[in-house]
Amino acid sequence: MYQYTEFDRQFVHQRAAQYRDQLERNQAGTLGDDEFRPLRLQNGWYIQRHAPMLRIAVPYGEISAKQLRALARIARELDRGYCHFTTRQNCQFNWIPLERSADAMDLLADADMHGIQTSGNCIRNITSDGLAGIAPDEAVDPRPYAELLRQWSTLHPEFAFLPRKFKIAITGAAEDRAAIAWHDIGLQLVKNERGEVGFKVLVGGGMGRTPIIGTVVREFLPWQQILVFIEAIVRVYNRYGRRDNLYKARIKILVKAEGQKFIDAVEAEFVSILEHDAGGTAHLLPQAEFDRIAKSFALPAGVGPRAGAGSASDFDAPIAFARWLERNVHAHRLPGYRAVTLSLKRAGQAPGDTTAEQLDAAAAIADRYSHGELRVTHDQNLLLPWVHESDLQALWKAARDASFATPNIGLLTDMIACPGGDFCGLANARSIPIAEEITQRYAEIDELYDIGEIDLHISGCMNSCGHHHSGHIGILGVDKDGKEWYQVSLGGSDGSTISGASVPGKVIGPSFAADEVADVIEAVIDTYRERRAANELFIDTVKRIGLDPFKASANAVRRATALEHAA
Amino acid sequence: MPPEPSKTTIMQFIDIDQDTWQMSAETPNAPAANLLLTSAQWRALRESWPAGVPVGLKLANDEGVEDVAADLPRFALVALHFPKWVDGRAYSQAHLLRARYRYAGEVRATGEVLVDMLPLLQRSGFDAVVLRADQSVDAARRALGFFPAYYQGDVRETRPLFGRASA
Repeated sequence: MYQYTEFDRQFVHQRAAQYRDQLERNQAGTLGDDEFRPLRLQNGWYIQRHAPMLRIAVPYGEISAKQLRALARIARELDRGYCHFTTRQNCQFNWIPLERSADAMDLLADADMHGIQTSGNCIRNITSDGLAGIAPDEAVDPRPYAELLRQWSTLHPEFAFLPRKFKIAITGAAEDRAAIAWHDIGLQLVKNERGEVGFKVLVGGGMGRTPIIGTVVREFLPWQQILVFIEAIVRVYNRYGRRDNLYKARIKILVKAEGQKFIDAVEAEFVSILEHDAGGTAHLLPQAEFDRIAKSFALPAGVGPRAGAGSASDFDAPIAFARWLERNVHAHRLPGYRAVTLSLKRAGQAPGDTTAEQLDAAAAIADRYSHGELRVTHDQNLLLPWVHESDLQALWKAARDASFATPNIGLLTDMIACPGGDFCGLANARSIPIAEEITQRYAEIDELYDIGEIDLHISGCMNSCGHHHSGHIGILGVDKDGKEWYQVSLGGSDGSTISGASVPGKVIGPSFAADEVADVIEAVIDTYRERRAANELFIDTVKRIGLDPFKASANAVRRATALEHAA
Repeated sequence: MPPEPSKTTIMQFIDIDQDTWQMSAETPNAPAANLLLTSAQWRALRESWPAGVPVGLKLANDEGVEDVAADLPRFALVALHFPKWVDGRAYSQAHLLRARYRYAGEVRATGEVLVDMLPLLQRSGFDAVVLRADQSVDAARRALGFFPAYYQGDVRETRPLFGRASA
């Protein structure tokens, strides 16, 4: 993974010092709360329902065992003992008092971490494929490019106050595990017929109130030009994006409204930068800089192709181990190696939540079995990237002892959920109790296997942090008359192979009451099990038979909303 | 081609009581020194404006720098406006003025200009600010001192970190 240079290290400490100065001015009354707000947001500090929330950047999902231990320390010393991993591969704390926030930033800086641009109307932390650099289906490792983009976007002076937040996702694999079409900019690394590396560039995807799939603006942009091309996109957006209406301020609205004119404006801006600007070519990436960054992403010492140990076919292994191998262990580009997901989806804890003890346990497991490296995945799990096959059975036992071995990756209970109304000041409704009820209802592993691969995504409000639009089943919290209600949608796709081309799901009728939701999900699942063809996945049954049978079964379990629905 | 903006430009903090530039709601009848004109006022006067009389242009943040590009050498000052401090359009205007059109006169920030904007303003090409009345000049100067260097290039230092390291 990326190794901080002395410059990087000083930079995050300088940022922590700048933040402390701002906090002190706020506490002294010379920096008003309204004016402090955008400054703290750009360091990851929200004011939430109970206390501030701190969002810490995990750049493109890579994190070390040492960094997990730093998070565990913050959880113990400053928070109430746990943190939450998000769909954008970040980490959140919920209980740190604001007066301790500068101390938290110092602790993070000591571990080469920060909260820079994890919130605010700026270029956010860049996300990527959880299997970046290790996936067998990868054409180009996206991590060096993600790091180059991280550095370029960090404290960019022109783009700190855009019309709205701006999210970039990058992948280099055939399978899209980063949902790139759902981002403000989606980047797919490809090789052309001459073997040269470039980017397919999508712009204007996004969720929220108006879900839109990104538009391809370039099929092949030579990699050397990526910083300049993104500068052109963001400048056009900064100048022309709407600022009169919060809900129409994302770049997707500009791209949709302007169409080809937007693309033409970006291309003209791109040419102008290169041909006219003082220093306009200075951000073309030289090979030497790429090589310098890429060096960080070389294989960890001692990792290389090795003969497999065949532990996968151990006849004495228990069935639980076989299931874990099937669901939580993934193919690796290196012979003899596997990627292993530590599931953060289990009853009694919210999806993505991890206690300080679990963080320490994951760090110990990573040190022992994965060269001290982990990933935070888009699906809110942790992943070990460098596991030798001969270690799988021992790792399984260690993961099981630390609560990470639920063999549910890709299945119903491996759901995505935002923190929702239990924590978030924006949420209309709670996500965690819904997630918990569904998790408890589907605790039986045989049943989960029978239901098969399915994406269940839960958001507590239209901001879509839980990506409800892209779930095969999406649940969205809505507020009516101060009460919690939930819209259910079916057939969404994040762009993965099993899900098909990215598309938002369709809502199946009026909102449900909170205590109806788990029944609705069960009714929808039951309908699938009755109507599916042999070996047909949930998403394919939805596509084949349409929404009506699901709607009918969902309506049949309405109680509180039955009268209203009939009327 | 005009010279590139100096990399050692000092940020000027404008004391509005001492400021020599004058605005007026009505289009002035005749050219006079140190008038700060809107683009509409300038269009009305540009044909007759004598070369020796200093004039400034005040651009709203939804006006295009490219629309006044041909006249830029005639302005001693371009004032860019922040109606709200979190509206970042003027940063792009300043960047274009300096980097694309090589504008070498004063680029001034007006409106809701706050202490913590200073690093961004300086790096995107502003060399003068009229701070909002309640802001402290001392705090603003201090805000300029937290980072000795940045990753990406800017108007003052066009080379990114990787360009400087290998230079």
